[in-house]
Amino acid sequence: MNSNLRRGIYGWIAFAAIMVILPHVVGTGVTRSFVFAMYLAIFAVSWDIMSGRTGYISFGHPFLIGIGGYTTALLTYHLHWPLFLSIPTAVVMTMIGGTLFFFPALRIRGTYFALVTLAFMELIYGLVQVIAPKVTGGTRGLSGLETIVTGAIPNYYLALVVLLILGFTMWLVIRTHIGTALSAVGMDEDAVRASGINVTRLKLFAFMLSAFAAGLGGALYVHYLGSIAPRALFDVGFLFQILVACLLGGAGTISGPIAGAFFLTFLLEWLRPYFPGPERFLIYGAVALILYVYQPNGLHELVRNGLKRLNQLKLSRDTS
Amino acid sequence: MLEAKDLSKSFGGLKALQQVTLRAESGHSVGIIGPNGAGKTTLFNLLTGEIKPDSGHVSLDGVSIDTEPIHERVKLGLARTYQVPRPFAEISVRENIRVSMMEDNLKYMLRVAWDDTGEKAIAESVGFTAQQLDQLPSELAMGDLRKLELARTLATNPKVLLLDEVFAGLTYGEIEHISNLLVERRKTHGTTYLIVSHDLKALQPLVDDVLVIHGGNVIKKGTFDEVVSDPQVQNAYLGTG
Repeated sequence: MNSNLRRGIYGWIAFAAIMVILPHVVGTGVTRSFVFAMYLAIFAVSWDIMSGRTGYISFGHPFLIGIGGYTTALLTYHLHWPLFLSIPTAVVMTMIGGTLFFFPALRIRGTYFALVTLAFMELIYGLVQVIAPKVTGGTRGLSGLETIVTGAIPNYYLALVVLLILGFTMWLVIRTHIGTALSAVGMDEDAVRASGINVTRLKLFAFMLSAFAAGLGGALYVHYLGSIAPRALFDVGFLFQILVACLLGGAGTISGPIAGAFFLTFLLEWLRPYFPGPERFLIYGAVALILYVYQPNGLHELVRNGLKRLNQLKLSRDTS
Repeated sequence: MLEAKDLSKSFGGLKALQQVTLRAESGHSVGIIGPNGAGKTTLFNLLTGEIKPDSGHVSLDGVSIDTEPIHERVKLGLARTYQVPRPFAEISVRENIRVSMMEDNLKYMLRVAWDDTGEKAIAESVGFTAQQLDQLPSELAMGDLRKLELARTLATNPKVLLLDEVFAGLTYGEIEHISNLLVERRKTHGTTYLIVSHDLKALQPLVDDVLVIHGGNVIKKGTFDEVVSDPQVQNAYLGTG
């Protein structure tokens, strides 16, 4: 049990080391793809802490990410707030938005919860365009937003630091009693109550962690792009990228969805030269489907089984 | 001491329980018997707070717990097993027990589980082997699922334990093991029991009093021998023909 934790921490150190060196090895284009992959990974981690274990499947994560993004965009664009104030405000606003997610979770779960959260996303998509389009930029959004750092490599390291801190923290959290309890909530919520645990508080905690990550990720992402538009954020395609990253990687494991986000981003990138058109998404869908059917527990499980087999090989060699 | 006063509950037109009153003194053991559909499980659900009574009150050690939610009642020492075991299917036996052992505060829950001596002790007390700690509930036989159900309940450290058909599906050896455990625990912890069971032979040595429920009403109260020899009770079970 403890050796699992230790092995996991070694894994994180190795991942961090490789990621630190990487931009010096690969070109600027690939570095930029990595920046996108890391933001997708942050969103996937956010989804995973809310939905990966609890069974409260969020179809509305772009709603949360969008609150973070729009808050900081509006504050800096119109009111010229400095970033060090606008970004924390964005995170707080997202957490308030997260409580809106939480209310339906008191009564409904599963598919119904997913649909309600999807409705949240569609609602805000409409609101941003209809209410005060002069302020929000309407359908076209806002561009020329302030950036935190410029250039591929500084942006790469910024995203990396955030991903490592958020990802590692969440990974640790699910390895505590909380992780076990969240898994139990996903299996039989009433039985968790009958074990003497305040499930409502537990869910709220997971939702707030998730909203924190979504808000921070969303705010930083917007300042990386320098622009924000409703169609890019409150979009089913964007939602599916987060979901597929989590499912392919292995929901509920934190490290899995991060791997899934990288896999997904680079699969799409590698396909681009061969299939410049939308048919690339067909292939990506097929690959995702095959992988998912082959191992529903995702890449995380594939790697774990691989390591297990390697260990057994080593053991049998040592004993013979 | 667990006390219920005039508990009533209807589901639509069906009067599941009518004015049921019971009292289990601390350290006492009360058996609850009655034919299928008599309202035994409904009674348990009302006591634990899983469903709200239409009228009536429940108190624990003289203090009303009517407004306490399920998890608070558990923390006050009122725990139950389910007639159909409800394990957390995809986590190990050890983790199943761990969920019940957790303190209900985030600061405690944000700790890593460094050792499993507590889980092990409880698992062993109900008769699990060390190897079974890593098994998933889906790999367990019915008897072991009942043991897990009991282990999870014991892990909440209950003062009053509501046992819903804990002997169903167990072998004679297992019944004896569980019985001994319950008797032993009553001596050491002074645990109060409410035991629903169809297995009267297993129930007999465990209970001080027996309550017979039929059609949502308490039809008889008394010692085991008094109750089973009562003609009205025999009619309820066998029918009047």
